[in-house]
Amino acid sequence: MDIEPFMLRAVLTALFLGPLCGFIGVFVTARRMSFFSDTVAHAALAGVALGFWLGLPDPTVPMILFSLIIAGLILWLKERTALLNDTIMALLLSGSVALGMVILSLLKGYRGELDRYLFGDILSVGWGDVALALVVLITVGSVLFWKLNALALLTAHSDLAHVSGIPVRWLNYGFVALLTVTVALSIRLLGIILVTSLVVIPPAAARNLARSLRQQILLSLFLGLIGASGGVVLSYPLNLPSGPCITLTLAGLFVLSLLGGRLQRTHQNAP
Amino acid sequence: MDITFRSPKPVAIEVQDLHVRLGGNPVLRGVNLRIESGRMVALIGPNGSGKTTLLRCLLGLQKPDSGSVQLLQDGPPGPTLLRRVGYVPQRLQLDPSFMLTVREFLAIRRPLTAGWFWRPSRQIDVLLHEAVGEMDVTRLLDRPVAGLSGGQLQRVLICSSLLNEPELLLLDEPTAGVDTPGEADFYELIAEVHRRRKITVVLVSHDLSMVYRHASRVYALNGVICCEGAPEEVMNADSLRQAYGIHFTPYQHHHSHSHGSHGH
Repeated sequence: MDIEPFMLRAVLTALFLGPLCGFIGVFVTARRMSFFSDTVAHAALAGVALGFWLGLPDPTVPMILFSLIIAGLILWLKERTALLNDTIMALLLSGSVALGMVILSLLKGYRGELDRYLFGDILSVGWGDVALALVVLITVGSVLFWKLNALALLTAHSDLAHVSGIPVRWLNYGFVALLTVTVALSIRLLGIILVTSLVVIPPAAARNLARSLRQQILLSLFLGLIGASGGVVLSYPLNLPSGPCITLTLAGLFVLSLLGGRLQRTHQNAP
Repeated sequence: MDITFRSPKPVAIEVQDLHVRLGGNPVLRGVNLRIESGRMVALIGPNGSGKTTLLRCLLGLQKPDSGSVQLLQDGPPGPTLLRRVGYVPQRLQLDPSFMLTVREFLAIRRPLTAGWFWRPSRQIDVLLHEAVGEMDVTRLLDRPVAGLSGGQLQRVLICSSLLNEPELLLLDEPTAGVDTPGEADFYELIAEVHRRRKITVVLVSHDLSMVYRHASRVYALNGVICCEGAPEEVMNADSLRQAYGIHFTPYQHHHSHSHGSHGH
């Protein structure tokens, strides 16, 4: 069976980033950071626009850098001001999107690019993106496993983590940086608007079936892999943007997990 | 003439002239505190008296404006020294979406079981056996921590804090969220841990009724240590009556007791 090179690139990227988003998502949902993930994703739009404005053929680097700057700004404002988290994130999300839209509007010939970055496009995935996704999978995945105990304890109680000798502040910064890079890279597949679904839905679905953190992590990895690659494969024959296809596949998996969880409980309660 | 020297008892906590301002307000105004090793003591005070701030200073979570904190006669609380300290928070910040089980929570606290993710549960149980048995949490091992009741969670938290053999155990409002019948059991359990392990136990609480039955010494805080002594002495002190308000009716018994120089 022949497979188109662009399809191969998109599927490989999905196979690398899907499980990674599922893994990191377990901690994102437990630490109530879904909106944070959404904010840094939207910040990427300004990075993309800046990349085009600078005349770069591939805006991946400014996209990641701008998202990291916004992530750092969120943490800085959280520590230095009395503003609520939601307020800070809403401010930076809308500000970044507005900046991106203004720059794109001033540039001629880039309006078409907007849809690509908003909803994801498998045609836009190059071999460079595939390699970058593999590197990020290996590095971010390794760091997450290496720091698994510290992250779990930080999620349970930050003061307890501190007393246990964990450098809480640096671990927080590190986690935010890893999340930002993972989310920014996944925008190629899912688009800015839907990328958070790959971080939030797999752990939420895994929670319906899992009975321990280990099971939740493994299930979330698996569901991220199935959802991302399944969505990419579906988007080609349906001639649809990959973002909505991945999100709908994940939503379908979530519904199945709800049913599975209910069946599991019924089976347990049976005499 | 024979002179016999009694060696001074080792000190678990020594706080000198501690001042902390939060948001411009003075919360601790010259706290002096000396807790001897091996005792089970209570640090009490009404809401807003600075208990949490003092506890945070003891744990190195809050930098004081001036003054000093020494733990276990070894210096200020730092990462190395804190390994010898057990801390039991009021509750965890766990979201129900996080499926961390009791077994996993205990395993992540102990270097010996740090590789829990890759090992079968049975192996982890063998390594945790002793501590789990002591606190009677064996039947809770498979339960998610986020779904435990107040009393069950306190047992698990104490169990986890004892895993690394601490010399000093700090408990923050230990019976918050525990039902009234469970409180007595809980204090019995702590007293048993104290007797068996001979460690210093500090109960930080606003709840007077229970702590005075179990603590050998009580320190009353209201910005400063306003009163300290044996429980029945402190409970009757005017300064404590003032700290808790005029409706407070303590245990009636008269003894001599000492007041801090900044007492109210």
